[in-house]
Amino acid sequence: MEFNHVHKSKKRVDVYEKVTGRAKYGADMRFPDMLYAQTLYTKYPYAEIKNIDLGSAQKQNDVEAIITAEDVPNNKFGVIIENQQVLAEDKSLFIGDGIAVVAAKTAKAAGRAVELIDVQYKELKGVYDSLEARKEGSQLIHEENESNQVIHHPLRKGNVKQGFLESDVIIKREYDTPFIEQSYIEPEAVVAVPYQENSTITIYGSIQNPFATQEAVASVLKEKLNKVRIVQNHMGGSFGGKDEVVSSMAARAAILALKTEKPVRLVNTRDQSIKESYKRHPYKMKYKIGATHDGRLKAMQIEAVADSGAYACQTPFVTWRSVVQATGPYEVENVKTDTYGFYTNNIYTGAMRGYGSPQVIFAQESLMDELAEELDMDPVQLRLKNIYHNNSITASGQKLDSHQVSLKEVLTKAVEKSDFIEKYNRYKKEQPGDKKRGIGLSISFRGCSLGAEAIDAAGIILSLKKDGSVNLYSGLAENGQGLKTVYCQMAGEILGLDIDRINFMEVDTLISPDSGSTVASRATLIGGNAVKKAANNLANRIKKFIAERYEQTEGDIVLKDGTIYGKKDIEIMSIAEMSSKAAMEGVYLTSYGWYVSPEISWDEETGQGNPYFTYVYGCQVAEVEVDIKTGEISVLKMTAAHDVGRAINPANVKGQIYGGVMMGLGYGIMEELKTNQGYIQNTNFDEYLIPTVKDMPDIDPIIVENPDPDGPFGAKSIGEPTLELGAAAIANAVANATDKRIRSLPINLEQIIVGRKLSKGGE
Amino acid sequence: MQKVKVSLTVNRKKYNLKVDPDERLLDTLRDRLHLFGVKEGCSIGECGACTVILDGKAVNSCMVYTFQIDGSQVLTVEGLEIDGRLDPLQLSFIEHQAVQCGFCTPGMLMSAKALLNKNPNPDKEAIKTAIEGNLCRCTGYQQIIEAIEASTKKDGSE
Amino acid sequence: MIEFEALKPQNLKEALAVLKEKGMDIKILAGGTDLLVEINNNSDRLGDFKYLMDISSIKGLDEIENKKEHLIIGALCTHTQISESELIKRNFPILIRAAKTIGSTQIRNRGTIGGNINNGSPAADLITPLIALKGSVILKSKNKKRELPLQDFITGPYKTDRKEDEIMTKIKIPKITSDYQSSFQKVKRRQAVAIARINLAVVTDIKKKRFNDIRVVFGSATPTAIRFLKIEKRLKQAHINELDLESIAEQTGQEMVEITGERWSTPYKKPVVGNLLIRALQEIIREVQ
Repeated sequence: MEFNHVHKSKKRVDVYEKVTGRAKYGADMRFPDMLYAQTLYTKYPYAEIKNIDLGSAQKQNDVEAIITAEDVPNNKFGVIIENQQVLAEDKSLFIGDGIAVVAAKTAKAAGRAVELIDVQYKELKGVYDSLEARKEGSQLIHEENESNQVIHHPLRKGNVKQGFLESDVIIKREYDTPFIEQSYIEPEAVVAVPYQENSTITIYGSIQNPFATQEAVASVLKEKLNKVRIVQNHMGGSFGGKDEVVSSMAARAAILALKTEKPVRLVNTRDQSIKESYKRHPYKMKYKIGATHDGRLKAMQIEAVADSGAYACQTPFVTWRSVVQATGPYEVENVKTDTYGFYTNNIYTGAMRGYGSPQVIFAQESLMDELAEELDMDPVQLRLKNIYHNNSITASGQKLDSHQVSLKEVLTKAVEKSDFIEKYNRYKKEQPGDKKRGIGLSISFRGCSLGAEAIDAAGIILSLKKDGSVNLYSGLAENGQGLKTVYCQMAGEILGLDIDRINFMEVDTLISPDSGSTVASRATLIGGNAVKKAANNLANRIKKFIAERYEQTEGDIVLKDGTIYGKKDIEIMSIAEMSSKAAMEGVYLTSYGWYVSPEISWDEETGQGNPYFTYVYGCQVAEVEVDIKTGEISVLKMTAAHDVGRAINPANVKGQIYGGVMMGLGYGIMEELKTNQGYIQNTNFDEYLIPTVKDMPDIDPIIVENPDPDGPFGAKSIGEPTLELGAAAIANAVANATDKRIRSLPINLEQIIVGRKLSKGGE
Repeated sequence: MQKVKVSLTVNRKKYNLKVDPDERLLDTLRDRLHLFGVKEGCSIGECGACTVILDGKAVNSCMVYTFQIDGSQVLTVEGLEIDGRLDPLQLSFIEHQAVQCGFCTPGMLMSAKALLNKNPNPDKEAIKTAIEGNLCRCTGYQQIIEAIEASTKKDGSE
Repeated sequence: MIEFEALKPQNLKEALAVLKEKGMDIKILAGGTDLLVEINNNSDRLGDFKYLMDISSIKGLDEIENKKEHLIIGALCTHTQISESELIKRNFPILIRAAKTIGSTQIRNRGTIGGNINNGSPAADLITPLIALKGSVILKSKNKKRELPLQDFITGPYKTDRKEDEIMTKIKIPKITSDYQSSFQKVKRRQAVAIARINLAVVTDIKKKRFNDIRVVFGSATPTAIRFLKIEKRLKQAHINELDLESIAEQTGQEMVEITGERWSTPYKKPVVGNLLIRALQEIIREVQ
């Protein structure tokens, strides 16, 4: 198919302001009389708050207001289970809980006042281990519950007992993964402006999901949704991270703004950000797998336990995605999985790019290599024997028949391009010297969009102006990934307009259609379908207008290059001219596109159903060099093959692959948020290490395109699949290099040398 | 705290300021001069988002007190553009899709600019060294390197 | 929140006069790449101070001088300056290798050798090679000037022998003959902007295929960077082709544990210090053969 605007590496529509420093981010917003807010955090992870004395803080110069839990109209919020405290009320439940927030004329004054707030605590003995929290009789984090269990997702298919009986080889392994910080470079920032126009409160800032924040703020303020307005600024990265934590900050700032009737700015430092923002869930996983001698998988049994930290946040959904992906993209007749989340007094956990998949993929794909080793097969062969094809039945009983199941294609392409087999066999042999090379791979299937988590729909408004330019209003938001550009390309394709004629308006809940959250790699797929619908509506209206007046039939009219063509390619007039004429005649030139995803299903009792309407497939190959004398690992090369359906903007797709690969590399070999009895030990980028440019391997992106019938122009997803595979591939490469299997992330210096993690305070 | 008189040239414009002793160059640029292209990401010199060129060298503006640099020349991302014309580096970042969320971009540009001022034809390793102190979580750095490499070639041919 | 007044003496004389008067209330600020971090973090290590005295623009303290017997490096020389110095490259390439691993370009552009030393971090990347080079530091006060070996100047983790009225003005390194070889090793958790998990400097001359004057200094392995005298003794006069590598590695680990005792990091560091020394020795031997 020939395209004019999509399937092309168009320049980003938001890039000019970003390279010139003009782009305004949350912390750059300034309003007259704006106050600066500072949060006082709890001193102990788990403590009773006996008394809060604000006296001397309130007397400080320039302090205008201080709030505590008492000032919060409705102190508990949450998307799934409403138990997150805006400010700690009777107890602090984790080290990032806020106790009070000060608003002052200067940031310094607010900082000083925070230090003068006198809080009396009674320190309590907390629970800091998810397996401890699971035990009967364990201290209850939320006393209203009967246990610390947030969620349990069972999945039952076939008969695992029987499956293991039929297996020739059975292996059991345990894997675990750490807390991970999203590490967006921009710390959270919000400004709450009271009584602006006819909204009670308007929040500007670094907000991943304006509608989720709107709901949270409205519920906390006990205000109507239509009185709470959220405007998203440019956002300095989020990766799932700027949701609940930002909602909580927005609510605090809003209360202060209403109290003082002045704009209130609340911006985190990096230390505050790492301390208070939720993390990726640590998982403890037990896998048991059975196979025949010739490598057919017969049964798989999995138990995965996630640490939810102090609040439920998104644990029920994060762990649900794990259920679907836990067995990997393999045909197994007999499956039993149990995925749990438990409350602890650790930092709470929520969304981060990947969302419950990187953990299970690390385990699953390590396990496949371990099984291959056991069966004396090569890792590719074992996988090829068991992977999904068209019409395969998944662990949840879904028949994959709506789209091209391209696992074999991505696997083969990545394996061939990286010279996997030759290298794998070569590196397996004894290598001279201290530096050992290894190669490893991992594959995945990933459900696109929300799946059975929630209703999956999105809307777009297009408004054609008299001069032929267009405003695009979207409910899904730019997080940095390039959504604005992709939407403009899609609208431009249908309307025959260059993307510089289309202006993507900032997401503003005042006008943008509520489309849920920009998460789950759903924006191109779901929002893109909405763009297509809106643009088709508008194009049809243009065609109708022309057909009625210029003796054309709608079917003959083509919109291209800003011009309207009729029968036999006759140029009728420019879209600009038509817009002006139509406007004068009172023709309505605004269109709406609303897209609801195809039907899906899920049975919570059995874990059976069709959880997603389509999937993407990926394979990554890692080549590493391990210094067995120091434990240092260099990732030399990553080959990443991803089926994206269709690449609307190939340069952006590559950008997603490069970035996702690096995040996966961090997960594999260096990142770990360390906690000790609930205290966080690495609260800035000097100790929480993310990859620098020098850690970058040679990255070879392979874009595979099998247009999906349900995707706009065939497009599906790319954001998350790129990150979920790296750690597993690296772990397999390290095993290939050193003959040592490391089952705990990150694979750091100590693990290579000592075989386990070491930490201050000992383990 | 007693204020200190400092005169600075920022983006070719001279300023006479009275600053607090604990006012960092970052604070001066953002809060006084409203050069919001200078970003604060970590406050301890680890992320490079606040990178500016100080007397010809890339520095973290969070690691400098303004009172230390009386008489100095400072260039921020806002100063790259001259009379509405973007610097070749900025154009190259646009061309090579080197920007995603954009938060690290100003710092990246300034680190790269300082390098190219000193060495118009750096090799890839020198480019990496120049931006090793600029963390980016979105791009995986690849397209940023491509953008800088491309503008070195341009510089070389001119 | 830390509050202070700024002092900005115009020259060394003025700075020393101010220090004489109220040195006990003064923190000295040079490149700021450590101090500003500690101020930002409200670090306990800062102690109480009323004034921050900026010496970063004092003239004459950022020069590298070539003396007959010594190379003198001004305390305000930045890591970038050191990395790019031809004089240092010719005399002590190990210093360049170490300086290039410090922080990032931005940090190296501000951070100074004097600051690196005075901060006294056990992981400081310049202290290790400077001790191996038998460097000494020159401290000036209003009426006095003294010189002492760097090894003695560092008295503990983040602790030095600097008196309140003193400024470190220079670092003095005795020249070595061209038959000296050196090696710098650094173990990092990532490839750049990384604090040394362990660093190692080895400086030695080899005479008739035997180590002669050999100095082995580890950083970040012991509370302060120090010479490992026992292993030095064992290696002195050892023939480079007849080294029992395994046992040398083993002994190095033991020497570390004798100093530190068993700590949480010992299971990792004990074998790795030995491995690193072997690597450094092999590198040096390769160089001479």
